[in-house]
Formats: sequence, C-alpha cells, structure tokens
Amino acid sequence: MAEDRLGHATTCEDHITPIVNHDGTGASQEVRPAEKRLSAGLPLRQAMKPPLAEPKTYDITEKFTKACSALEVGQLVKDEYFTLFESIGALEIMDPKMDSGFLQPGETLEDAYDTLAPILPEELISILDQLLCHEIAWHTGYPLSQTLFTSVYIDKLLWPEPKTFEQAQFYRGEISDDRRPGLLLEVLRAYCLALVKCCDFTIARITSRDYFEEEDFCTHTYNRVLLVQTPMDVFQRELDAAIERLEDHSEMDIEASLRGALIARLKFRKRFLSALDIDFPIDYIRHCWEQVSRKLPTISTTHQLGKVVPESFSFKIQRRLASTVPPRPIVELEFKDAFEKLQQLCIDCDEATRFVDIEPDPLEYQSFLWAFASRTPTPLPYSRAYLASLLFQESSLNIPLIDLRSLVLPCSPVLDPTNWALSPPRNPMLPKPPRLQLALFIDEFVERAGQCYLDLWTALGQNRCRLRRMLTHVVTGWDQLQMDAGIVDEDIMRVVTEMGIREQVLEYPLTTWVYHKKLWMIEKVVLLGFEQDIYLHDEFAGMYLFLSSVTGRRRDLLTTIKAHFDDRKRMFLSQNTPEALTNAQETDDGTRYISSLLHDASGISALSSALSKFYTKLNYLNLLPRPTRPFSTEDLRYELRMKPFLTLTPPEVYPFADFAAQVQPYAPPFFDSPPPSFSEALRTPESWLEIEDSVKRAKEEFSAVKKLGAKAAKSDSVAISWVKDVQGVLASCVALGVAVAGVKAAVEEGEEGRELGIRFEIPGIGIGKRYAEGWVVGKVVKS
Amino acid sequence: MSEKTAEASKDELQYVQYQAEKEEQYLPAIRQLISKDLSEPYSIYVYRYFLYQWGDLCYMALDAEGNLIGVVVCKLEPHRSGTYRGYIAMLAVRETHRGKGIATKLVCMAIDAMAERNADEIVLETEVTNTASLKLYERLGFLRSKRLHRYYLNGNTAFRLVLYLKEGTALKRPEGMGQLMDQMDQMDQYGGMGRLCRSLSEGTESL
Repeated sequence: MAEDRLGHATTCEDHITPIVNHDGTGASQEVRPAEKRLSAGLPLRQAMKPPLAEPKTYDITEKFTKACSALEVGQLVKDEYFTLFESIGALEIMDPKMDSGFLQPGETLEDAYDTLAPILPEELISILDQLLCHEIAWHTGYPLSQTLFTSVYIDKLLWPEPKTFEQAQFYRGEISDDRRPGLLLEVLRAYCLALVKCCDFTIARITSRDYFEEEDFCTHTYNRVLLVQTPMDVFQRELDAAIERLEDHSEMDIEASLRGALIARLKFRKRFLSALDIDFPIDYIRHCWEQVSRKLPTISTTHQLGKVVPESFSFKIQRRLASTVPPRPIVELEFKDAFEKLQQLCIDCDEATRFVDIEPDPLEYQSFLWAFASRTPTPLPYSRAYLASLLFQESSLNIPLIDLRSLVLPCSPVLDPTNWALSPPRNPMLPKPPRLQLALFIDEFVERAGQCYLDLWTALGQNRCRLRRMLTHVVTGWDQLQMDAGIVDEDIMRVVTEMGIREQVLEYPLTTWVYHKKLWMIEKVVLLGFEQDIYLHDEFAGMYLFLSSVTGRRRDLLTTIKAHFDDRKRMFLSQNTPEALTNAQETDDGTRYISSLLHDASGISALSSALSKFYTKLNYLNLLPRPTRPFSTEDLRYELRMKPFLTLTPPEVYPFADFAAQVQPYAPPFFDSPPPSFSEALRTPESWLEIEDSVKRAKEEFSAVKKLGAKAAKSDSVAISWVKDVQGVLASCVALGVAVAGVKAAVEEGEEGRELGIRFEIPGIGIGKRYAEGWVVGKVVKS
Repeated sequence: MSEKTAEASKDELQYVQYQAEKEEQYLPAIRQLISKDLSEPYSIYVYRYFLYQWGDLCYMALDAEGNLIGVVVCKLEPHRSGTYRGYIAMLAVRETHRGKGIATKLVCMAIDAMAERNADEIVLETEVTNTASLKLYERLGFLRSKRLHRYYLNGNTAFRLVLYLKEGTALKRPEGMGQLMDQMDQMDQYGGMGRLCRSLSEGTESL
C-alpha cells in the first residue's frame, strides 16, 4: 500500500483523475512563477501529473494473439495493481459508444465548417453568447472538451499551437486576400482570445487554492496552451481595437442595435478579463466586480437579437482532445441559466472583495468565511478560490493569539506584551524570568495551533458536502491539539502559581480555548448533516440529542469563561487606577462576545433538546416513517453515526445504553404499539411541559443573541446574513412551538388506542420550506 | 398491480448465483441490462473485474425461459480503513418487472452472502434524487453517511450508503501500517466506482 500511495498505480479510491491524463495530456504545462501558498495538511485530491516519457511503438499482435489462445473466455489476467479504477478506464475499440474515433459509415472525421466564411452581426452575437454559456458551464464543473473546446473557432485559434500571438488566427499559413477575415471575424477573434485568457486566469486562480479536480472543477486543457505567456495588455489592446473599429461607422454598415450589442459584449469581456487577472492589484479590487456586473444587463436584453450558428460548435473536436475517453455530449447550458450563474459569480466575487476591508480579527474572518460558504446559491469554485486567495494572502496577523485573547485571556498577564520584551539570562543555567517563560509557552502553542487554524479555514472554503466531511477531520486535528494544549497549560498554571497571579488566569486556558472550538465544529458537522439530508426521519431524535449534549458542554465552558471575565472586571474596577479602568472597560467589551456565545450555545442546546424530545414522542406515536431494517440493529447504526466522534477526548459520544435510554425512554417494544408507560406519559402535562419549556428557553436565548447584535457576535462584517440566520432560528423555535401544540392537541382530543387523525410532514432540504436548513421542524397536517 | 399478481409473477422467477463458466450465456444479457440505464457503457473489463473475482457475490433473477430479469454485482475485499468491506457495484431490474421486490430480493441475497463471508460493512452510492433506490436500501438498514458533490459524470450528486454488519467496525484500523495508514484513514476519498463510473442507480427498481 505504501508504494501505491507514491506511485500512480493506486486504487480507484485514491484518485478519480480521468484516464485522459495517462496519454500525457493535462493542464497547461507552462510554468507560472510559484505562487505564495500556505498548504493545508488535509487530504485533498489534486490533479495527477502527466508522465513525460516519449512513447515508443512495438507490434505485439502476433505474440498477443498467441498468448490469448491459452485463456478461457472470461478469464481475467491481472496483477494486484490492476484496480477497478483502471478497469473502468478501459475502452472497447470499435464500439461507437466508447471509441471516440469510431466513424459511422459515411461519417467524416471532422466537420467542414469554414471559420473564414463571413458571418452576419446577428450570428456573431449568438456565437458570443453561446461561448459565454460554455464558459459558465465549464465554471460549474464540466470539462473544456464538452464546453468551450467544442467551438470550431476556439479550436482553430489554439490548434495547431500558435508559435506567436499573431499566429493565433482562424487559419494557419498563407491565405488569399479575398479570404482575409473581415471586421466581424476580427471582432470574434479578439473576443475569443480574451476568453481563452480568461480561462487561463481562472485555472491559475483555482489551482492556486485547494480544490477537488473533476468534482469542483476540471482544469484539463488537452495540450492546448491557453496563451499563458501572452501578457494581459495584449488582449486588452485587441479588444480595444475591435471596439474602436465597431464604433467607426464608416467601416461597415451595421444596424445600430446590433452594433451596440456587439460593443457591449466586447466591453464586458474586457472588464471580466481584468477582474479575473491574477495580478490585479489588491488596492483596486473593491469595485472591479461591480464594474463587470454593470456590463451584464445589455448582454441579457440583446441576447434575442442573435441568430444561432449551431455548426460553429462541433461534437467531433473531442476526438482530437481526448481519445481515451468515450465520446461525451456537448453540455447544453441555457443562456438564461448561464447568465444567472455569471451574475452570481460577479456578486459572489464582489462580496469576497469586502474581505480586504474587514476588521483584522480571526473571529470576524471565521464569520465571514462561514457566511460565504453558506450563501445560496452556493458560490462557484472560482468565487471560493477568489476569497481563499484573499484570505491566505500574507498577513502579519497572529491569528490564534487574537482568538485566544478574545475567548479566554482578557487583559491577561499571560499575554502582556512586556512578557515578550524580556531577555533570557546570559547564563543559560539560570532560570528564565517567569514572564518570559509565559511568552515562550504561548509562542510555542500558537505556532502549533496555526496549522489547525489553517485547516479549519481551508475546510470553510470547500464545497458544502466537502465542508461537512472535512470538518470531521479538522475536529480530529483539534482533538490532538487539545492534548498538547493540556501540557502547555500545566506549565502556564505552574508559572502563574509561582508568580502568585493564578486567580488572574482562567484555569487551563488553552485547553478551554481548543475545546470550545472543537465543540463548535462538532455542532456544525451535525447541523450540516441535517442540512444535507444525511439523517433519516427516525434518526432526528438521536442526532438532536447528540447536538444538545455537545452544545451543553460548550455552554458549560462558556459559563465558566463568563464568570472569569466578570471576576477580571471586578478586580480591575477595585484597583481604581487609570490603567485598571481601561482594562475593566476592555474586559467589559470582551464580555459582550462571551455573552453572545453563551446565549447562542444555550439556545442551540435548548432547541436541540426540545427537538430531540419531540421527535422521540413522534417516533412512539408512529408519526415518522421507520424502515423495518432486517439487516441492521439500533446499536450498529448508532456506531456508524457516531464514527467521526468515537475517538475524541474527552468522550463526546454517549455509551449506547445511555443513548438508548434517552431516545427510547419507554421501554421496548419500541416500534409496535406504544407501550402503556408511554401512553400514560403522553397524557401527563409534565411530559409536554419539558418540551415547551425548552422551546421557550431557546427563544429567549436566541432573542438575547439578536439583541446583543452582530458586532458582539464578531459577525459585524456579515451583519445582514447574520441577522437573517438568527431570525431563521427564532422562526424555527416558533414553528416548533406550533408543531408541539398541534400534536399535543391531537393527543388530548384523541381517544386512547385510536388513530390520532394527523400526519406529520417534514420539509425537504433546499426548497425554502425550512426557516433554517439545519433545524428541521415539521408541521402537523390533518389526515 | 395487485399484490397477488405480483406474488405470482415473482414466484415464476428463479434466483441464481452467477457462475464463471457460464459467462457466454449470461454476460451479454447482464451487460445489456445494466448498460441500458447508463449514459456510457462499461467495457467488458469492468464486468470481468467483478465477475471473475467475486462471481459468487453476483445474483441473477431469471424468468421461466431463463431470460435475465435482474442482477446484482458486488465485491468484497479489505478496505484501507481496516474493514472488510462489501460494495454493491451494480443493481438493475428489467423495466417491465420493476415494483415487485426483485431488486430487494437480489440485494438481500448479496448481503447474506457477504455477511456469510465475514464482511464488516457494506457500502454503495446512489443518486440523491433516486428515491426508489434510497428507499430500497434504507428499508434494509442502510444509513446515508456522506453526500458526494457532483459524484457522477452527469454532474449529479450522490449519497454514500453504509450498512454495518459487525460491532466495532467504526473503530477498526488497518494492521501494522502505523502512521501512514492513520493518515490514509483520514483521507476522505471516494471509495466507490467514482465519477467515471456513470450513474448506476437509475437501474434500480422502485419497490
């Protein structure tokens, strides 16, 4: 297995890079100046490097035929390195569905489309719009071979590879003067060249960050070089010249509306190219996407002027791009859809540029990243890479340190800047001053925590499905960090005790900090599970129970932290010096953040507890579908569900017996008619009161969060979406109250042993029927 | 269709294990049945990859004339996570015979066979929109463990479904592989047929 990992003969599970890479084709092979990039220590599937060896050919037909005759039909000859992945990559020659080189009788290898034939202005409009559709389809994850590279014009420009920029024409070599492309073809050429450069920039941006080849995005360029070496201004010049010629009415008689439509498209392309430029100076990025957006409406309103030229896109070009994959259809993305996605791309990138202006605080960053990852529709890979490249720019910010200070070390002697100003004694045998020791402990820890922080941020930049799964790995990393934090904490506590300032420092501050972040991530994993429809309805009770338990721990931590903040403030106030008063004020400000977290954690814990108890009741009332599951048992399913968290220290997962006692409180038989103990309990007000109280408490807590505001939650930079989120959770509380009342009423009105006469409907994901995607609240419907 | 007729026509079917020596008899029909729902066909090597190594985990439903009505194709081997993992690679039932529990029966036979052979767990992928397939597996005890973004060639998203057969499966680790394997266990790669593998789930029947 070890060799497997290093060589390319890995199993199919190791990478899903398509077979096309094996023939030596791959992404642009031009080398860019190495970009600054912090790499995350996370499992990421990257594009495979193509082998470089020159192919040699031997005729083995005879030997092969002879060897084959010794085999039985169906016998598989393979070594242990031949994997499913490779067998899937195999093609059958002369099978028209697999062999892209196969020609039907009478079929020609290439299309006869003439790229020098004059085109009409309306045809040009349509070609440009179709190119735009393909470009956006590519952005959404389809390969170039099924999108842009199906354009005969783009193909002619890029293949055979032009040696100089001037050679990139819709023809090669000499042509007679009467064949020379006219104005409209020159316009098309300028647009196409800029479009190709846009693709080059897009690939450069996305590959500079962590992404998943084929899943998020396809970078293959099939040995076409996307004008990598040609500098940006050359393309701008071509576009300018084309615009100028179009604006000059004397050159060609074109109807004004068509002329305007063409100019608008060129101007859009110019802005878009400029915004995509990877060297775009950061000081000017604030408005660059807005400027692209402004060019869009005209394109949309003039789209209907176009006259389609379907022949200018060909399915056959694929043959020359990737002979080792089956022929695949041209991706048809409707103009309307493509245009919407393009608009969204501009809006998302514009949103991302706001990042450069937000307060330099890792917690604000975290909120920003979370909000960006939660945007609907979900941002395209390019937009995510764009934000990530802004985030991971070199920064002098000491990220974990600021976070530590905010959560556990307010105006703390442990983080006193003067600690770092002390020099070690000349004689290394002498002990270092205690304050210097503190500084060194913190430095050591902060450096250790940096990678974990980076991993969290990287996860936040992934697609939503990945985010959930990657977070479980990040949690494991933080779990290890927590152990290390414990060791440093021992040292810190020893030193502050020696210094006689122990009461000024929160007990085990680093462990507390790591643990808090870890619990927060576990909560997100569970909520993302609900959001992604991972849990079946009869699992809701158990998963909300787990969420409630994890958040309960975080709430307890925060309660201790809050008490510490209050102590600190009291202490500063009692000192009554100007410096102490400043510290008191600063601590007080910091308390707002802690209070916001505490209310939020209490709210989450209460709401999930209410949901857990409610769904438990619904399970017994047979209001939720429950599969028979002949091959599975409750404890095996529990083990599978808890898998990502089983190894954590301290343990977060209830032993199965405890879990079962909570989600099956009324002894089995669970799934047959409700046990008598349950029927009795159902009619006591207490069993409903518990749920109603939790809902009420959750509502109060979230209202308190809302009242404290976005700034206290360190979400000032995303205040609008933050408020929306809080309101969503509050609405979920209200909806739950209604649902509980509905079921309760049905139970009270119904006679014992009778059908309740109601159904319970669970809203699906992503259809706007949930107030918050992670909080699944169903509703009662009379049946 | 009433339950009675469904029972009757189901009764006519014969459920048999695949046999390698009968490749010429069955493989063309298996390929045809499975390819029908795929945007791209698999080469014969994919079928042989499974059938040559795990032919005994392939079950077929045949009608009275011996025509292939349904098929399930699986594999079972040590997974790098340390578990002995079964994988349901293909499942298809002829369109005219759907809705009669044939796929369920085939899957049950495959699960039994894999459990018999000591499998720790059984996994598969299916499209998130394929409710019939999801229902089929979830009724048997599978849970959704992951959502896989753009898993299939057509850009569709999948669920990974998992069924644990043995206690302690979640905590299994590969033997004697030390840290490297620890890291690999953390790898969150697709364990299945992957994007190249076309969408298989369309071939599953509704219950």
